[in-house]
Amino acid sequence: MIRTEELLLNVGPQHPSTHGVFRIVVKLDGEVITEATPVMGYLHRGTEKLAENLNYTQIIPYTDRMDYVSAMTNNYVLVHTVEKMMGLEVPLRAEFLRLIVMELQRVASHLVWWGTYLLDIGAMSPFLYAFRDREMIINLFNELCGARLTYNYMRVGGVKWDAPPGWMDKVEAFIPYMEKKLEEYDKLVSGNEIFLARIRGVGRYDADTAISYGLSGANLRCTGVKWDLRKEEPYSLYDRFEFDVPVGESGDCYDRYRIRLEEIRQSLRILKQAVAQFPKDGETMGKVPRAIRPPAGEAYVRIESPRGEIGCHIVSKGKAEPYRLKFRRPSFVNLGILPKLLVGETMTNLITILGGIDIVVGEVDC
Amino acid sequence: MGAWLNESMTWGNAFVLFIWAVVFLLIVLGFVTYAIYYERKVIGWMQLRVGPNRVGPLGLLQTVADILKLLIKEDTIPRKADRLLFILAPALAFVPAFAVLAVIPYTEKLYFADLNVGLLYYVALSGITTLGMVLGGWASNNKYALLGGMRSAAQMISYEVPLVISVVGVVLLSGSLNLRTIVAAQGDWFWQWNFLPQIIGFVVFYIAAVSELNRTPFDLPEAESELVAGYHVEYSGFRFAFFMLAEYVYVYAIAALTTVLFLGGWHPPAPFLDFVPGLVWFLLKFVAVVFSFFWIRATFPRVRIDQLMGLGWKVLLPVALLNVFLTALYLELFVK
Amino acid sequence: MLSGMLQGLGVTLKSMTSPKVTTSYPDEPIHMPDRFRGIQHFIPELCIVCNQCARICPTDCITLTGKPNPDPEKRGKVIDTFDINFEICILCDLCTEVCPTEAIVMTNHFELATYSRDDLYKDAEWLTDNNTLVRKDNNNIGAPAKGGAK
Repeated sequence: MIRTEELLLNVGPQHPSTHGVFRIVVKLDGEVITEATPVMGYLHRGTEKLAENLNYTQIIPYTDRMDYVSAMTNNYVLVHTVEKMMGLEVPLRAEFLRLIVMELQRVASHLVWWGTYLLDIGAMSPFLYAFRDREMIINLFNELCGARLTYNYMRVGGVKWDAPPGWMDKVEAFIPYMEKKLEEYDKLVSGNEIFLARIRGVGRYDADTAISYGLSGANLRCTGVKWDLRKEEPYSLYDRFEFDVPVGESGDCYDRYRIRLEEIRQSLRILKQAVAQFPKDGETMGKVPRAIRPPAGEAYVRIESPRGEIGCHIVSKGKAEPYRLKFRRPSFVNLGILPKLLVGETMTNLITILGGIDIVVGEVDC
Repeated sequence: MGAWLNESMTWGNAFVLFIWAVVFLLIVLGFVTYAIYYERKVIGWMQLRVGPNRVGPLGLLQTVADILKLLIKEDTIPRKADRLLFILAPALAFVPAFAVLAVIPYTEKLYFADLNVGLLYYVALSGITTLGMVLGGWASNNKYALLGGMRSAAQMISYEVPLVISVVGVVLLSGSLNLRTIVAAQGDWFWQWNFLPQIIGFVVFYIAAVSELNRTPFDLPEAESELVAGYHVEYSGFRFAFFMLAEYVYVYAIAALTTVLFLGGWHPPAPFLDFVPGLVWFLLKFVAVVFSFFWIRATFPRVRIDQLMGLGWKVLLPVALLNVFLTALYLELFVK
Repeated sequence: MLSGMLQGLGVTLKSMTSPKVTTSYPDEPIHMPDRFRGIQHFIPELCIVCNQCARICPTDCITLTGKPNPDPEKRGKVIDTFDINFEICILCDLCTEVCPTEAIVMTNHFELATYSRDDLYKDAEWLTDNNTLVRKDNNNIGAPAKGGAK
């Protein structure tokens, strides 16, 4: 009788495929995982606690650094919560600008995911292809608000910058460019038999499991649940545009992959409509009191970030600083299913599944 | 050149042979240097980059600088490592890689050992390198390295078998295990070379060869995104350079072997082209094969370990066996 | 069968000759758009020592002190010391946004690496001399001088 010994392996915090400083302690029997425990907190910066001593405008740059791959949506969830508490009107032009940057950001975020996921699977080139096209969006943002990653673009009541001359034309030109590049992506990767064999049927769960673990975003939609906050609880101007919510059937990594690529297409569709309807002129900043002091009370706002449902809960005592501020971070919640999902999988599938969930460690640890 | 090997072994002859070995080692090192440069350039272009261009004109000295860096780097041996095996492993991986080159003929005149079991010698020796990887992985006392070493062993066993069987067809056709005879048996026109009559064998051989090289999509032993660096995760400096060297010398060896076995060696693609020296034809084919390895690396993701095993045992092995039977049947019915 | 893999090979082969996207950055400088937020430029003559930049700074990296105006004719204060600690500055642009007189503005300089942490403390003199590539449009939406929120 052969007796085998369990191998305890620390995957991370320094590991090429944990997408930052994140650790999973796995017990291995050969290459098969018998137990997995995610360990997080290596990138904890105490954003929520810091926010209690900052006024609302000062918190905006901190939200940039949560989900640093998708800073615009973080900006939006904070300023929108404050606007909701104060009952502020946002000018149409500003709202359009917000929506356009959020959708551009969704494309950029999914591109980062696509590139790094393929890197996890072992293909090098897609990463560089994705970053070539993400660079176009980053340059657009750089022109708009002067930063490439941490934008600090939105303000309570509007946006900091109006679009510079010619900017909207560049966005318009980007849409067909990106559509063409998506075809190239499909040719390069989506049909590759090795790739399909790697992700089909891997990390499968059903809709009930997904809902009971509180998953959101593509991780939920891959099980066939049609839940997109842009459709379910339209915020911003999403009720003005036509777009589809792609859903999967089997709830495996392949469906998550397909959904994210399709979401890029849908975002481009929204962008096309938004650019066409963009108001010729108007204010970019609404009527905002000098001191931003939301009335005492609380508010919760949730929106659809590229990673899922990002929520912001503010408890105000009527001061310039929040009494308590809490972010519901989709990356953190989505990670919860990992210990269940990994049992019985191989070391290789660990990477495939972890990458498929699409986490940003800055957001996990906040 | 091979004639020297048949002379009696005097001190003088031994010295001449030794000098030749050193010259050849330098040529191989030169190849490795520029194979790495070639690989980085090709993959760079395929990834919309320019590749190395800083050190020397067109970046030609980049690899030299890299090797120099590896050589002057601190040599680290983990405290809990098995010292003897840890030191032995890189040498064990490299020596067979260099030794297999002895049997490869380049032209009718330019060859080293004219071994009548050349092919057998090649596959037998190349298996030893895996031992070096397993040892290195084991001796490092690192879990990632151990997993990488184990994978390497499993992969070698699964792919050495189809590799050997896939060339049996070629051996049957030419009736020899001598690589020079195998080349001579291939016809003057390019469609008479073994890769077309032995198309099944060629495909199986190619896939198994990429796997033997531990290159993408079969780079599981070092699988960067899973095992960080696999079996050589604890190696640095010149010990790491030895593993690297072994890997690229095998690229040389496998590309040369593919050229010899399936692509007609030094034969020109058509008889009227024979005014170009055979060595040039050999090199052209050789470079094309090496390019294909890089091209695949730039495009494909990595296969999973269980899929790799499945492919080896359930697909490649039966197909290779089928190829042997088909070839034998053909020879029995039409040639005999 | 295997058509997906062959298509992928086609894409990479075609990319070999397509234009390269990398830049030769250190050899050729990168020009950032005007709105780019690089290290600040400070104009002491314009500063009215209102402390707004120090108060809005989310990381408290600005410290400043004022002194009474040496010209007895004029009231108010003039700036005495003005330091930005670039170890913690996150270039969020809020200080330039609130400055009522545009005494602190952004530049396009982004090469901030130094060999010593001490070099990261930028004083008024350094910030005043940092007067190239200054941002033209500062859009200080929070400043009361321009009528508050516009």
